[in-house]
Amino acid sequence: MNWSAFWLSLQVAAVATVCIMSIGLPLALWLARTNFPGQTILETILMLPLILPPSVVGYYLLLALGRGSPLVEWFHIRLLFSWPAAVVAAVVVGLPLMIQSSRAALANVDPRLEQAARTLGAGELRILMQITLPLARRGIIAGIVLGAARALGEFGATLMVTGNIPGRTQTLPIAIYDAVQAQRYQDANLMVLVMTAIAFVGLWWVRRLERSPEAVTPLSEVLQNDQEATAIVR
Amino acid sequence: MTRKQPQLYVDIRRRFPHLTLAIQLQVGAEILVLFGPSGAGKTQTLQAIAGLMTPDEGQIILDQTIFFQRRPGLPSINLPPRRRRVGYVFQHYALFPHMTALENVAFPTGNDAQGRRHAYELLERMNLAHLAHRKPHELSGGQQQRVAIARALATESPILLLDEAFSALDQPVRDQLHADLRTLQAERGLVVIYVTHNLDDAFAVGQRIAILREGQIEQIGTLDAVCRFPANTRVARMLGLSNMIKGQVVAVELNRLWLDWNGVRIEATCPSPAPTVGSQVTAFVRSEEIRLVYPDRPLTRFVDHNLLSGRIVERRPGRRLYHVWVEVGTTMIEIAHPYTAYTGLDTSIGQVVQIGFRPESVVIIPEAGRLITTQQPVAQPISEYRR
Repeated sequence: MNWSAFWLSLQVAAVATVCIMSIGLPLALWLARTNFPGQTILETILMLPLILPPSVVGYYLLLALGRGSPLVEWFHIRLLFSWPAAVVAAVVVGLPLMIQSSRAALANVDPRLEQAARTLGAGELRILMQITLPLARRGIIAGIVLGAARALGEFGATLMVTGNIPGRTQTLPIAIYDAVQAQRYQDANLMVLVMTAIAFVGLWWVRRLERSPEAVTPLSEVLQNDQEATAIVR
Repeated sequence: MTRKQPQLYVDIRRRFPHLTLAIQLQVGAEILVLFGPSGAGKTQTLQAIAGLMTPDEGQIILDQTIFFQRRPGLPSINLPPRRRRVGYVFQHYALFPHMTALENVAFPTGNDAQGRRHAYELLERMNLAHLAHRKPHELSGGQQQRVAIARALATESPILLLDEAFSALDQPVRDQLHADLRTLQAERGLVVIYVTHNLDDAFAVGQRIAILREGQIEQIGTLDAVCRFPANTRVARMLGLSNMIKGQVVAVELNRLWLDWNGVRIEATCPSPAPTVGSQVTAFVRSEEIRLVYPDRPLTRFVDHNLLSGRIVERRPGRRLYHVWVEVGTTMIEIAHPYTAYTGLDTSIGQVVQIGFRPESVVIIPEAGRLITTQQPVAQPISEYRR
């Protein structure tokens, strides 16, 4: 078991999760609430890291973080081959999961509840904090958990932007790859088990969130016809 | 409480792709029913008052407070919904599912001790105190709607808007809520606007009724006045008046009027203004005001006018009355009578019978035009206002 890789992975995943939350939630809210030309294109671009080969994502990140990029040339921030680069890679691949899940949950909040809150004297911030976010919390939490799990497991893009420096940039997935390459199977087995356990617990929790009884809309509500009530025109 | 009678004045226009809304209303402390088919603009009118929809132009004024104003030459005002704080009750309750009944009602009052006490009092008023700590999904539909009404009252607004609020509920629950609503209105002097597409609901709760069609008010007045003097044939049909007769005025005399209907003389009370002799008019006779005539008995005063002969073509039991259709000439006349009436008369299909109705039962409708029988004065210009 490579403990330095384990702790580094946790550190990267923790920082990445904070970033995923603070970037993903406002973005999901914005995407759920507005319609603008080119929205589909933007959403597609945000989802791309889910589908693209990690090497392609890694290559884009090399371009974005490497020499010649605005980050380096204007701000003199050099991230390549350091652990923050792994955070960037983890955020890029974890964000789509966070956005997708929380966006769906936010869009699912009945706009009539927000309308009702408005007529009851609530401002937009109060509606967001007391109505919208609490009602979408399951989807948001699921998005964070999925994003965090994905961040923890990121391998391909991370390898390309951080390299494989044991003790400095070697995360757990890379350490596993390394162990297998060097035929240290016992090491690999343990680390694989740890990764699997973390992933299992994360997914199991998300499933439980989705299946808990309160999350289910009462059938009677679904069956009642909406008629004019849906004709909420702004 | 010495609050003076609230007055809500609404005069708005808004163009939608399939509808042009042009509504003018003046509502005091009363229950006004907005009645009309789906898509007539009822919900949009409520949304405009609550601030959830912005009209293209017009004014919405509650007492001295201008909710909305967009008129040439006047300053533009559009208060957001949270500053209008009108009580709004939605068809599907729109209770916050993650809060208890008490927390829902305390949402507008604030969740401090005083706000919660006030919310609890409102729940008590709605006979729901024992359910204060239940979540909405643990309540029945009628209970949920009571919570929603309590929550709307918690805004302390003199306005209560109900948008098809009871239409998803069973009839007995609905009857109870209608009774409660009438009491609440009287108790608190509320301006209540009750939207429905159900005629029974309109009669159960309304004092005045505004009949909407395609974004405009066809007629507004007391239920009694609108039923007695429908402004036009569309209103008459929407009010469920059957038995339409088209005829020519052949004589007018003081408060009597005679129609020629396919060669049959029909006597009616004369509406005001009186139609001119020779003009075409449409008349309705309510199905429950037409009697069958016993051939072997003397004529009562109910049937000594307008005696017609026809053949029974159909008979059906109804919810409250028994329905018989009689073909008079080429016109089908519907008669509704109590279940126990005419037991001594053969009303089987194919029988030829005599029918009769009083002149007072004939409702004459002007052929064209939109008559608004409003008793309310036109809005006075408002010189002072606060924002």
